[in-house]
Amino acid sequence: MADRYDIAIVGSGPAGISAAVNAKIRNKNIIIFGTKDLSTKLIKAPKINNYLGLPDITGEALKNEFQKHLDAMDIDITNERINNIYAMGDYFALMVNEKMYEATAVILATGVEYTKPLKGEEEFLGRGVGYCATCDAPLYKGKTVAIIGYNHEGEEDANYVSELAAKTYYIPMYKADYNLRSNIQVINDRPLEIQGDSLADRLVFKNGEINTDGIFILKDSVPPGQLVPGLQIENGHIKVDRNMRTNIEGCYAAGDCIGRPYQYLKAAGEGQVAALNAVAYIDSKIKNS
Amino acid sequence: MKEVMDNNFIEEISEGDVPVVVDFWAPWCGPCRMLSPVLDELSAEYEGKVKFIKVNVDNNPVTSQKYRISSIPTVMVFKKGLAVDTMIGFRPKADIKQLLEKHI
Repeated sequence: MADRYDIAIVGSGPAGISAAVNAKIRNKNIIIFGTKDLSTKLIKAPKINNYLGLPDITGEALKNEFQKHLDAMDIDITNERINNIYAMGDYFALMVNEKMYEATAVILATGVEYTKPLKGEEEFLGRGVGYCATCDAPLYKGKTVAIIGYNHEGEEDANYVSELAAKTYYIPMYKADYNLRSNIQVINDRPLEIQGDSLADRLVFKNGEINTDGIFILKDSVPPGQLVPGLQIENGHIKVDRNMRTNIEGCYAAGDCIGRPYQYLKAAGEGQVAALNAVAYIDSKIKNS
Repeated sequence: MKEVMDNNFIEEISEGDVPVVVDFWAPWCGPCRMLSPVLDELSAEYEGKVKFIKVNVDNNPVTSQKYRISSIPTVMVFKKGLAVDTMIGFRPKADIKQLLEKHI
């Protein structure tokens, strides 16, 4: 069995690292998932003037300050992408492909995804539309599958699917050299809408359409409702109360993923509130066991 | 939970007065492996009130096609042989309980 952490933090932007720092101060066994840049939005910011105590700073410089703080507190970012988080009741199972981490509490600090869903995407989810090609590919054995890929990982998934499916289309949403098997047909067109009756069966582009049995949409980050099945979403953001509690016991959220305004200080403050409440949750569980 | 096959599926969902919860799963499906202990717990809690069975979609194509299973796990609820509810993907225990309470 995997070691169980007290708190798993998903996301290494200001909300996530503030949560990590505060949980660490309270002596909890934590793991934080993210990237070495901490946040791609942060390093792109040319000038920040509303972060208290650090006026007129570039995003890059603020990132370096954050990193120094993490180093000083001996917090390492785990550079892995969480695909799914399952609320098992007493604990959470965090999946990285076939690998699993366990934690008593979870703090979501995933930021916001700017790509809008396709027309029909949400309507047909689970009825021909999916976000994990490798999970559901065997159900499409001998059928036609279209894969809309937002990054290179989509190509690997398409190659795998093409071994099972009768026909595989790949629709790249980025420009690059594609490393695809020869039996995959690449469509360089902009997808507009998924159509169908009770099941999705057609993908409509700007300049045409194809018939298909399944459509997989592979984005950089999965929407929070897909990341944590059962998580309540309101107007595109994770719903929380003022203690940063979500509808799932033991699961907290902070930062841009819970709503506007999208600001560094707000995110850091919410990360702190989430961490302190997660600590209280863990302490109450220990007391009651 | 009892494993049910194509040849006895209709019989299993038709007999009795209690709602029948069917877990469509496959061994290669990660979310299915996570959902199955949750359903086991519920099956014990709802003993006598709800019947729980599971169908491996790899070995039972007739049933899977009939109910148009296109993503797994899919959990369906039957009453007297008729489908009354469908839940696609993993869900926390509290959510599934809410779904079951509607049909008891």
